[in-house]
Amino acid sequence: MDDEDMSCTSGDDYAGYGDEDYYNEADVDAADDVAVTPTHSEEADYECLSVNQVERVFIDGVNSLVSRISINEKFARILLQANHWDVDKIARLVRNDRNDFLRKCHIDAKPEPKRKLSSTQSVLAKGYCSVCAMDGYTELPHLTCGHCFCEHCWKSHVESRLSEGVASRIECMESECEVYAPSEFVLSIIKNSPVIKLKYERFLLRDMVNSHPHLKFCVGNECPVIIRSTEVKPKRVTCMQCHTSFCVKCGADYHAPTSCETIKQWMTKCADDSETANYISAHTKDCPQCHSCIEKAGGCNHIQCTRCRHHFCWMCFGDWKSHGSEYYECSRYKENPSVAAEANHVKARRALEKYLHYFERFENHSKSLKMEEELRDKIRKKIDDKVNEHNGTWIDWQYLHKSVSLLTKCRYTLQYTYPFAYFLSATPRKNLFEYQQAQLEKEVEELAWAVERADGTARGALEAHMHRAEHKRQTLLHDFFF
Amino acid sequence: MSNIAFNRLQRECKEVVTNSEISETGIMIEILNENLTEIKGHIRGPPDTPYAGGMFDLDIKIPDQYPFSPPNVKFSTKIWHPNVSSQTGVICLDILKDQWAASLTLRTVLLSIQALMCTPEPKDPQDAVVAKQYMEKPAVFKATAEYWTTKFAKGAVKNAGYQALVDKLKDMGVREEEAVSVLSCNNWDINRSTVYIFS
Ligand SMILES: [Zn+2]
Ligand SMILES: [Zn+2]
Ligand SMILES: [Zn+2]
Ligand SMILES: [Zn+2]
Ligand SMILES: [Zn+2]
Ligand SMILES: [Zn+2]
Repeated sequence: MDDEDMSCTSGDDYAGYGDEDYYNEADVDAADDVAVTPTHSEEADYECLSVNQVERVFIDGVNSLVSRISINEKFARILLQANHWDVDKIARLVRNDRNDFLRKCHIDAKPEPKRKLSSTQSVLAKGYCSVCAMDGYTELPHLTCGHCFCEHCWKSHVESRLSEGVASRIECMESECEVYAPSEFVLSIIKNSPVIKLKYERFLLRDMVNSHPHLKFCVGNECPVIIRSTEVKPKRVTCMQCHTSFCVKCGADYHAPTSCETIKQWMTKCADDSETANYISAHTKDCPQCHSCIEKAGGCNHIQCTRCRHHFCWMCFGDWKSHGSEYYECSRYKENPSVAAEANHVKARRALEKYLHYFERFENHSKSLKMEEELRDKIRKKIDDKVNEHNGTWIDWQYLHKSVSLLTKCRYTLQYTYPFAYFLSATPRKNLFEYQQAQLEKEVEELAWAVERADGTARGALEAHMHRAEHKRQTLLHDFFF
Repeated sequence: MSNIAFNRLQRECKEVVTNSEISETGIMIEILNENLTEIKGHIRGPPDTPYAGGMFDLDIKIPDQYPFSPPNVKFSTKIWHPNVSSQTGVICLDILKDQWAASLTLRTVLLSIQALMCTPEPKDPQDAVVAKQYMEKPAVFKATAEYWTTKFAKGAVKNAGYQALVDKLKDMGVREEEAVSVLSCNNWDINRSTVYIFS
């Protein structure tokens, strides 16, 4: 137990812990208490940076490039951005063919245009801007290419590009000229328009962060934090400011053991199939024995009908007794080997059935997680009551709190095993995965059953459930994620 | 419309109307409303192409952000060309999309379209059927484009053979424009065309 938990024993403000996001909780490492030592961390190595700190990262990048090759700082930024901030690669390419490279990176102009379309060449009037077709300008700003236009037109051009979301790739206004306007130039053009300047700086930051392989915006709503990490695995980060947790690689909700590509495919599929999947998300079902309507109240999928006392599984409606065996059949979708021989419409139906099988379980665990949040509140109140009745101290009852946190952690991983399994082709590896998934599922449901009835469960028995569930979770992550 | 756009367009209209080079190349513009948001363009079919002798009209719409956004240009005269939709007249041309630059003008746009009429780019087609014919049956493509020029762009050359096929379909109760379109798409095979229409 860490110092922060210890300080809570004063009992004044520990109730505040209910505000945190327990789905992705990083700090409550229940594994310690149940003596399962994970071999790998699910947490990415990362730091949370402010906009100013990120600017420092960019300046460091620019400085390291400028020390390697002779280039103006404003162009160094464009080079870095176009090349994933890879200083070595840039230095190599500059040495190789500097002129060609600078042209390809939109810093220098191409030697001559292929087509002669512009009307600028034909007009020789002094101070003439070919965009507004007016002359008499005393100043005509231009980029490295030397194409001159009036300040007013440059400003309108910048505004127009910004309205399309373009900031770091604003090109010269001349036809077939691909030179990009460096930020220094753009800022000098819009210096008197604070609103546009703000918009430009915001977009520019977005472009710079997106081009940097180690930076990622926090996905929290309106959160200004930028995460810096060199992690290559899709591990989890938790923003220090808004406490949002997400995958460090793709920014989606943390999704171990599923990969970023698979979870993206899964989410797209779910969005596409949402209509067909909607009907299954109803909260009520009929008892398979007495047909009375049962509303699922807890997160546990082991349901006991209040009328006929029949025990059944919420997901497959099977008798719960058949789930007690080591091989938890419910989590498994049996691939039909004769599928290939079937007619197309049957295939489509089977495909939908297969999807619904996985989707229903994915959704179901997601709902269970929400319900178990209420369970967490109940348990907290229970602990409060016991402590107030001088029935033990807060520390004595901490195992209850830990048990529900661990349940959340295990169920969360279990939820994300379904997209993984859906996209696995029928191989021995899939069999192994589904075996481990079934094991985890069985332990999670048993733990949930025990936690919901924590009063009647002895501490030792509950901790044994916790240990087994976390052990199965670690085994699955170890074999299929790390 | 902004001041820049209005000034620019006034200048551009004058440029197209007064430039003597223009009367030689055969491009013209006609202003349809006072605030210069709708303009009609005309391109004379370039010599030594299937469009020679025809006069092609274009609808030009000027967006609010002009000249920082490209004008919206499409053919209003039907034309048989790989980079123009034979149905809608929409043109596939880079400078009307991502290659637009504020320094380009209506004059350069019309000249580019005229250049496209001389040199189609079938690898970047707007109309896949036309592009396929252009690549695989160049003689049929040429004859079809010529026929469309006479039919829709007041060209002088006549193709009696094609006209007879069109008349045959018209006798069966098919609208003339549809008859031309279906025959063109089916390489002037009357049997395939009738199957296409009546099945
Ligand atoms: Zn200007
Ligand atoms: Zn330029
Ligand atoms: Zn955040
Ligand atoms: Zn990810
Ligand atoms: Zn019942
Ligand atoms: Zn079941």
